[in-house]
Amino acid sequence: MKKILLKFIVYFFLMLVCLEGLVRVLHLYTEDPPRFIDSYGVEKRVPNHTGYAVTGNRNQNYSKFSINNSGFNSHREFTPSKDKIEIAIIGDSFIEGFHQDFDDSLGNKIEDELKNNIEVYEYGYAGYDMANQMHLIHAYKEDFEKIDHIVLYLNYKSDLGRSEYTPNTGRIAMLSSLLFKLRDNIKLLSYTSKIGILDSFKKMLGENNKDISNTIEGEEAQIEKEELFLNNFKQLVKLYGFDNNKTHILLDSRKTSASFLNYCKENGMSYIDFSEAFEESDSPTTLVYDKHWNNNGRELIASIVSEYFITRSLDTVH
Amino acid sequence: MQNMFVLIASYLFYGLWDWRFLFLIFGSTVVDYFIGIAIHRENENKKARKFFLWGSILFNVSLLGFFKYYNFFADSFLDMFQLFGYTIKSTWTLQIILPVGISFYTFQTMSYSLDIYYRRIKPTRDFLSFATFVAFFPQLVAGPIERASNLLGQITSKRTFNANQTIEGIKLILWGLFKKIVIADSLAPIVDDIFANYGMYPSTTLILGVTLFSFQVYGDFSGYSDIAIGTAKLFGIELMSNFKFPSFSRNVAEYWQRWHVSLSTWFRHYIYIPLGGSRVSKLKSIRNICIIFLVSGFWHGANWTFIFWGAFHALAFIPVFLMGRNTIYKNTVIGENSMLPSIKEVGQVLLTFGIVTFSRIFFRSKSLTDSFSFIERIFFNFSHEPYVHPSGYRMLDFYILIIVFIVYEYIIRKDERNPFSFKSKYLRFFVYTLIILAMLLFYDDGVNRSFIYFQF
Repeated sequence: MKKILLKFIVYFFLMLVCLEGLVRVLHLYTEDPPRFIDSYGVEKRVPNHTGYAVTGNRNQNYSKFSINNSGFNSHREFTPSKDKIEIAIIGDSFIEGFHQDFDDSLGNKIEDELKNNIEVYEYGYAGYDMANQMHLIHAYKEDFEKIDHIVLYLNYKSDLGRSEYTPNTGRIAMLSSLLFKLRDNIKLLSYTSKIGILDSFKKMLGENNKDISNTIEGEEAQIEKEELFLNNFKQLVKLYGFDNNKTHILLDSRKTSASFLNYCKENGMSYIDFSEAFEESDSPTTLVYDKHWNNNGRELIASIVSEYFITRSLDTVH
Repeated sequence: MQNMFVLIASYLFYGLWDWRFLFLIFGSTVVDYFIGIAIHRENENKKARKFFLWGSILFNVSLLGFFKYYNFFADSFLDMFQLFGYTIKSTWTLQIILPVGISFYTFQTMSYSLDIYYRRIKPTRDFLSFATFVAFFPQLVAGPIERASNLLGQITSKRTFNANQTIEGIKLILWGLFKKIVIADSLAPIVDDIFANYGMYPSTTLILGVTLFSFQVYGDFSGYSDIAIGTAKLFGIELMSNFKFPSFSRNVAEYWQRWHVSLSTWFRHYIYIPLGGSRVSKLKSIRNICIIFLVSGFWHGANWTFIFWGAFHALAFIPVFLMGRNTIYKNTVIGENSMLPSIKEVGQVLLTFGIVTFSRIFFRSKSLTDSFSFIERIFFNFSHEPYVHPSGYRMLDFYILIIVFIVYEYIIRKDERNPFSFKSKYLRFFVYTLIILAMLLFYDDGVNRSFIYFQF
């Protein structure tokens, strides 16, 4: 009995070592560049990290990321100046773009379409909502004063949940804890955690990831929610400001409430609506295994954004 | 003490699903325990023996009839009236929960009474052992359906720890998990999608769907059986083999000697042979074959699709029987004396696999209408388009997986109890590691993991 137990432990340990090796060699794990909150209270990635994000239900999507000096995934450094024309695109994981190689990003595609040495800065960070985005502009006021145009990506259903930005220190502290460091360094653990094998253990430990964002239902509740979202937006505008001349909202009008769109129109806030292009597209616009834009989706967004600026005679605005 | 522990574990295991149905198992145990003793006591009184035997059969069949078939008969009865133009409001159908494993443990307890009746065994007076025999948790919910002559004897004897048996058990559990997680569960979403939307897919996709279902159901059920056999080994118990590489069968008769062996054996021993088996006239033998296949189909579920599935197998079996080829492959495997199978064998295997896979259209479809529409689309709407799963599964992964699985099963085809029979311990270790890696690669968080045969 003792012998078999010992043998079992040895086999188990050796197998873990082998599996760790195989997971590393086959790069099954995804790399998540470390995050932090800077002195301005902005949550972002630790600068100068490169690696591969692995996504897809069979880990079929490898894409290289490169975090620049400013802490965002981009093919270029952000060096705003009065001498150049720059467009900043701010948003969540759709803009952060870990689903494509960093040098084939949305920003890159817009630059290609616009030409004329216009620089596009992608301030994308998974989880950024409107509060994050507007606080970022406010916090880096000097930089954004030099930037000619700002595009805020609004995912209406999830981005207007709060009226003020507060840094998520709890999450950053959790991600820096020993347990998470272990998870990130032991690739087998990182991989098994990603594919959900450890979910039952997490449940046992009492981790509750219940999503409460969709708990409000019914027509009345829907109206209430729309009112809340609009009020939150108004509060954010009041708190952080909104330069109508250079700020534009990128949105899908199919998923955005009429009251919000009307408010924008009434207050001279311009928005770029990509719903029509997506609806008319013959090929899918999102990845098959999740809802992020695929290459076709990004191409469409890039051409809509560039067309928008071309028709508004971008280089003569300022 | 050992049996007390196993019995408590078994009742706890079953009770965690639904404690109310523990009374059903206990009832079945008590009835067959006393009936077994009664049959044996009436050694000379043939009538009394028969009376008690029928008591056991009626009791168990009634349990099955009520919990599994009541709604089927009620609905069929109403449908029959509708056929003649009468419409009866359906108030007869009841909301009955099907107790998990009822088809398995009722057959097991019935076999006990039948074996005593046929004087193959003597009844046990040890109620605890008998209750453990009925409720032994590794095989309680989906078999193998054990006969008392094999299992009860092991349960009544004291068991001691055996290192080799434990290692064999762990290996079988690992292999079973591989078949369940990697083969069955990973194919499930593809099969589900194709069968749910068969009206939208071209014929080649439907053929793909039913072929993958063949592998899914095999991986699911044989995986469960291996886990059950392996777990039983950890308790010092040897259960019978339930699957002997049925995919390599050379005719339909051989297939039934390799697929769900415990059920086939049950039907052969307790229905086919008592009816005269093949020792009666050809016509009667054909009748007997039809009976066991129809009963087997009906055993699987209260749905006409299963009855058609059984009938289809009877039709496929009868020609083999008439040609006298139903037992010729009984003790051999494909490529018996060579490394590779002959071309003739490959042809036979492909034909058998094709027939069996075709029958699974009935097995998998929700209704007969669906089955026939599915078949109609295959034959009369022939077209091809590469299959793309809505969730974006990369199909190449699955094609490679199936090929590797077939090749590996071919390598180990001679011993279903030892899936890792390589002499080199390094090679064994390599295979174990690859198997666990495959489990990690194909693990799908969103898949419903319940076993297909739990519903029977």
